[in-house]
Amino acid sequence: MSKTPTMYVERFSVFQRFIHLLIIISFLTLAVTGMALKFAMEGWAVQIADLFGGFAVLGALHRACAVITFFYFFLTMILLYTTWKESKKSLFGFIFDPEGLVPNLTDLKEMIGTLKWFFGGKRPYYGHWIYWEKFDFMAVFWGIAVIGSSGLALWFPVLFSKYFPGYWLNIATIIHSDEALLAAGFIFTIHFYNTHLRPEKFPLDPVIFVGSISVDELKHERPREYDLLVASGELDKLITRRAPTPWLQRMATVFGIFIVTTGSFLVVSIIITMFKYIQGAH
Amino acid sequence: MSHKDTLLSRAGTSLCILLITGVVMTGSAFALTNEDCLGCHGDKSMSTQKDGKTISLYVDDETYKQTVHADNGCVSCHVEAEVAGDEHPFPMTPVNCESCHEKIGAIYEKSAHGIARAKGDKLAPFCKDCHSQHDILKPTNPRSTTYPLNIPYTCGRCHQEGSAMTTTHELNKHNITQNYSMSVHGKGLFESGLIVTAVCSSCHTSHNVQKASVPTSSVNRDNIINTCNQCHVGIVEKFKKSVHSPLVTKTDKKLPVCIDCHTDHSIAQVHDKDFRLIIAKQCGNCHEHNSETYLETYHGRASMLKGGERTAKCSDCHGSHSIMPAQDPSSKINTANIVKTCSQCHPNANLSFTTYLTHATHNDKDKYPYLFYTFWAMTGLLVGTFGFFGMHTILWVPRSLIERLKAMTKGH
Repeated sequence: MSKTPTMYVERFSVFQRFIHLLIIISFLTLAVTGMALKFAMEGWAVQIADLFGGFAVLGALHRACAVITFFYFFLTMILLYTTWKESKKSLFGFIFDPEGLVPNLTDLKEMIGTLKWFFGGKRPYYGHWIYWEKFDFMAVFWGIAVIGSSGLALWFPVLFSKYFPGYWLNIATIIHSDEALLAAGFIFTIHFYNTHLRPEKFPLDPVIFVGSISVDELKHERPREYDLLVASGELDKLITRRAPTPWLQRMATVFGIFIVTTGSFLVVSIIITMFKYIQGAH
Repeated sequence: MSHKDTLLSRAGTSLCILLITGVVMTGSAFALTNEDCLGCHGDKSMSTQKDGKTISLYVDDETYKQTVHADNGCVSCHVEAEVAGDEHPFPMTPVNCESCHEKIGAIYEKSAHGIARAKGDKLAPFCKDCHSQHDILKPTNPRSTTYPLNIPYTCGRCHQEGSAMTTTHELNKHNITQNYSMSVHGKGLFESGLIVTAVCSSCHTSHNVQKASVPTSSVNRDNIINTCNQCHVGIVEKFKKSVHSPLVTKTDKKLPVCIDCHTDHSIAQVHDKDFRLIIAKQCGNCHEHNSETYLETYHGRASMLKGGERTAKCSDCHGSHSIMPAQDPSSKINTANIVKTCSQCHPNANLSFTTYLTHATHNDKDKYPYLFYTFWAMTGLLVGTFGFFGMHTILWVPRSLIERLKAMTKGH
């Protein structure tokens, strides 16, 4: 027990956390069911299909999770709309808000600063969103657009071929599957490391599940955000003594570690398979 | 001696000769009856020792009377015994069925079994090994060793792992009887009791059994179509008009015959999961590239997973026995028919839909440039993204460790 009570600040609202939960569930299922098909000639993929009860079940789950994906994309749009309205900024001002989610020049400077920091420089003066977090968020637009549109074509091939040549479905297959490999590979290695597995956070940063972080953590990790909140006087409004309940923290840890482990297993299987092919090709 | 006496004497001699001749000619009737033989061989305990084994010499007359040879006397087969009378020589020469079954004997002598026996192979089967001895029944009798339901057991006595034959002979094919039992023919026989189904002898013949490598063998590649044609007339008729038939395609290359796709002993029902799952492999034995590229597409990938028998296989699109090249108007994949072919699974398919490349590969730059460049653009994107962020992460590891250690020392 520390003498001064720990104060907390909310980083993710319940709505944001709900969206991320939907992302986790659907993305992991999409990745597992999709990769089992992409790597069907591998033993691990066959085991996944056996476990789920066959490729038809994998397909059904994959499509169900595609629906969840389009649903959370829609929820994200609502979230952005309400956030914009609450900000009372112009649309342009909201999109290109220096503290917003769209990458800007500050991010480039911070990226260079970060690389310097790796070699012993000063830790950059990070704000509410750091460039690697913005990159993850942008995937919602880039990834869903690319994987979603190609996936819809593959889901409704007859309809698609009424408007486009049938062989575009072959192109759609490559795009869908390789973009998915990029997405899954990225989330299960880079995102997992940046957010959870790096030594400072290992094994898990539960903030996306519990919602709030301590003021000390905020001050250390995102000094610019902290300073801005202090300067605007917002910090006093946001600050609370209420820590995330132990129950929520335990749930977050168990669930989070389960997801990180599952994703890691999948990505390790993929990496081993890819190495096997690269070796086999020579 | 008077002339009269001489005449009488002559007549007596002639009568004697006649009598003797009559006795000799109808010898069997007078000499040894089955009852005579059974006087000894009707005793259940009658036996002899051979190679340290007790061999029963008992003959069950009741059983014998029901056999095809019921009207034949013992001595009609055991000819030596006839001459001998009471005590026949022992051991006797083996019974020679050929003395009556002349044609079959001639065929047998040229068969793999006959040749092996002539070479002194003691395990090579002779008539009695398949037909039994004193209980030979008609093949139509359910108790006969050559009744269709019993033939797999009769042949299986030798052609099965663990039999005496396998101690001296290498089996070319393994688990023949098990595979047969699981095959469409075996299931027909054992599960449905269908006695017109193919049993061993239907394909291998009964007396003219030859190794498949012998050109005249009924199961030789060159003869197999005719062998299957004994039952599958309609199929063979279609096949003979297809691209795989030597009547249609003149080539030096090996053309497929029934067994190349259907296998032999384990031949399965074509709708069976097990058969559907090997189609791509079977066709791939000759059409290697097409099989490989098929496996790269959705149909092929899904076919490798549980439940994969449901996706389209080679024969679903190309047809099976009446298969023709795409440019032929009767081909299932000819432009005139392809929409219908795809519609089997994809209702409302249209011509544009059928341009989907079912044998696509991104490895063929000349044939599929779109796929080739798409693949390499995507690969570039992946390599670039992972390259940058991978490096970013690797460089971060030591820094992050230092930060953690700092935080820990600060905390204490």
